[in-house]
Amino acid sequence: MTLPSAYTEAPARRFNVGERVRVKLAFPPGHRRTPVYVRGKSGVVERVCGAFANPEELAYGFDGNPKRVLYRVRFRQRELWSDYAGSESDHLELEIYEHWLEAA
Amino acid sequence: MKHHDHDHSRDRSFDDGPPSEHEIMSRAMQELLEAKGVITAEQLRRRMEQFDAEFPQRGARVIAHAWVDADFRQRLLVDGKRACAEWGIDLEADRLIAVENTPRLHNVIVCTLCSCYPRALLGMPPTWYKSENYRRRVVREPRAVLREFGTVIPEEVEVRVHDSNADMRYVVVPMRPAGTDGWSEERLASIITRDALVGVTVPDAKR
Amino acid sequence: MSKGPHDMGGEAAGPIDTVDHGMKFWEKQANALRNTLTSRRVIRLDELRRAAEDLGPRYYELEYFQRTTEALRRVLIEHGHFTEAELTAKMAEVRRRYDPA
Repeated sequence: MTLPSAYTEAPARRFNVGERVRVKLAFPPGHRRTPVYVRGKSGVVERVCGAFANPEELAYGFDGNPKRVLYRVRFRQRELWSDYAGSESDHLELEIYEHWLEAA
Repeated sequence: MKHHDHDHSRDRSFDDGPPSEHEIMSRAMQELLEAKGVITAEQLRRRMEQFDAEFPQRGARVIAHAWVDADFRQRLLVDGKRACAEWGIDLEADRLIAVENTPRLHNVIVCTLCSCYPRALLGMPPTWYKSENYRRRVVREPRAVLREFGTVIPEEVEVRVHDSNADMRYVVVPMRPAGTDGWSEERLASIITRDALVGVTVPDAKR
Repeated sequence: MSKGPHDMGGEAAGPIDTVDHGMKFWEKQANALRNTLTSRRVIRLDELRRAAEDLGPRYYELEYFQRTTEALRRVLIEHGHFTEAELTAKMAEVRRRYDPA
């Protein structure tokens, strides 16, 4: 399935649709939009949303620059939860900023 | 009655009992900001009207149109914000991703970190969407949560959870139910509930 | 490890009350206030989220609009739109208006 939609241009980016990525396993204090339940987990880039002001800076009254590339990443539920009770094919998707991702 | 100026943004005659401390705090902040010219009572009044009367009507209209117009549906799936703008629906800061249910896929939306929700398309989120139990559970046991809403998804259909955790907002494009052939868009819109647009239920032609 | 009170995805929890209980009138007013301030960029939604997360264990004790109201207070004071003292005085005035006794 191709998902061409990107809301803002993000030509300079590290990852592309279909690439496997891992969310950093880190627990820095402060305002973060990366839920703890996906940290350290691997998934696949579902789409590139574009570049957005960094919420980790906006949250403290700064301007959020430089902007960060935002991706949607698709995870297998069985990879997120060892005791997942649903179907093998179930997935979860959410948005992760580039500085929280590394190549898997 | 205190209705003399009809300005509901400054009225409290609709709630019973004495105001709570949080209500007093909220009202005091509003009055300070108005006095300092940061915002106006008119801006607040307009905002309340939009949340009450305008925003909650939009989602069903857009999805009913997507059910009858395949080209529009495609544009909605590619760029939800732009497709809504065709209808004069300004989603303001919300960038919209529409996710489509199919015979093999059921989508459901949550915001685990707060209560992100496409307010300019659906109005205010229902109580359960903001509840801690929904936010905790739907990412981990979506099928059990859907069953609590009376929605049973067969094992062979994928359930896909969308955690609305950053800059995107989401709406589900449900499947048009059988038994709705020849229906007008208005009639179709009447069976498209808010809960179906979040993905915890599916539209029912017999509703 | 740092995990804020808001970051609750995946935690075990009980049944969901699937009924929408609507909003009180003051909550609609509080929502309009918050939304007007963020859409006009007086303050950022991100700041409000951060202030709510910083409530710590109190986060769980407060209802949704109590939480957002306290977060709004904190961020508006940070931005210098009013002082703690101004707000306290205004709250006393509002309280007297609704409860003259």
